Amino acid sequence: MVSCSSFAPSLKLLILLLAIILISGCNRKTMVVLVPDLDGKTGAVIVSNDAGTVDIDTANQATTISGRQSAPKAPEPMTKEEIEAVFSRALAAQPEPPVHFILYFISDSNELQPESLESLPAILQTIQERNSVDISVIGHTDTVGSDEYNYKLARGRAEAVNTYLVGRGVEQGHIRVSSHGEQNPLIPTGDNVSEPRNRRVEVVVR
Amino acid sequence: MTGCAALQDYFYASPPQGLFPASPGCTSTHKGCCNSASHEEDSMKRITSIFFFFFIMLGCTLGSQAAPASVGIVRSVSMDAHILRNGTSIEAKTNMKIMNGDVVKTGPNGSIGLIFDDDTLVSMGPNSEFAVEDFLFNPSEKKLSFVVRMLQGTFSYLSGQISRLFPGAVRLETPDATIGIRGTHVLVKVEGS
Repeated sequence: MVSCSSFAPSLKLLILLLAIILISGCNRKTMVVLVPDLDGKTGAVIVSNDAGTVDIDTANQATTISGRQSAPKAPEPMTKEEIEAVFSRALAAQPEPPVHFILYFISDSNELQPESLESLPAILQTIQERNSVDISVIGHTDTVGSDEYNYKLARGRAEAVNTYLVGRGVEQGHIRVSSHGEQNPLIPTGDNVSEPRNRRVEVVVR
Repeated sequence: MTGCAALQDYFYASPPQGLFPASPGCTSTHKGCCNSASHEEDSMKRITSIFFFFFIMLGCTLGSQAAPASVGIVRSVSMDAHILRNGTSIEAKTNMKIMNGDVVKTGPNGSIGLIFDDDTLVSMGPNSEFAVEDFLFNPSEKKLSFVVRMLQGTFSYLSGQISRLFPGAVRLETPDATIGIRGTHVLVKVEGS
């Protein structure tokens, strides 16, 4: 593939390269391929520019775009081999997804549900196994109560889990504690709906 | 948090105790919220408490602005990868933090894998360039954004929580087109100009 910005040390070479560039048209192309995610499910993409829009919602289909002013082409299937040939390095560099733990809490409190107490050792083990230096502890509530009240309640839950982890030897500097209040429910509900599965802390180990 | 006074077990009280002596149970942090009729001595105490609390909040804000929050980390890197930050080129290493504004570049032998704070996974093959334009993951304030530029090379993108909460917040910009997504795994190749 000829680079459009090559440096040519001699005049003869410069002319030759110039000819090649002109012939090839120096077209930059972009290719977008939709592939299944880690669970095997397929989402959708919308590829658009000033000249047009293309939707892809079937796995292993690709659109190419030849420039800002030319519309994205209709999606065409790509074989797994073709996809591998182009993207093998990028795919090989794909990180393992972070491990999520969910701990459930008794309504309107910082106290863990009894079953969740048993999950705590597994969190410590995963942190050790991954040598993780980046752990998020995020508190959540259901939608019963005001936004403000729930922000603080969720924060208190996250702080309680943080205290446990630090007490068991995890470095505080590796943990980020935050609150999403009622704004990031596991189970979306209307306002002021009691939902035990939303009363939780998520621990994310990267 | 640095530069903040610690109030022991503040969040363990339910509801948290009011910080303004004249109105117990008021949990607003706005200066004007907790006004209520009161005697003069109580007013002075209240004004003092309001200023005290205001300065704590100010200290907390200034403290958090002094250290910009990271938006993700480098999870794996196979040599020949750099991060361009504020005009300085830094060799990319595992567990290094990523910031808004970073430009991540790989050389002819490089590849790199990044995990963002919302679980988005981005990885790049060789000869690739990727800019973090705007990452915001603050659902409690409804602030969500994932805007990146794929300038050159090969990329794998696996969506995270921002896309789940608000798909419209995600934009993958390439030189020729913008990619919007609906919870998904996308591969992008951009040929260099």
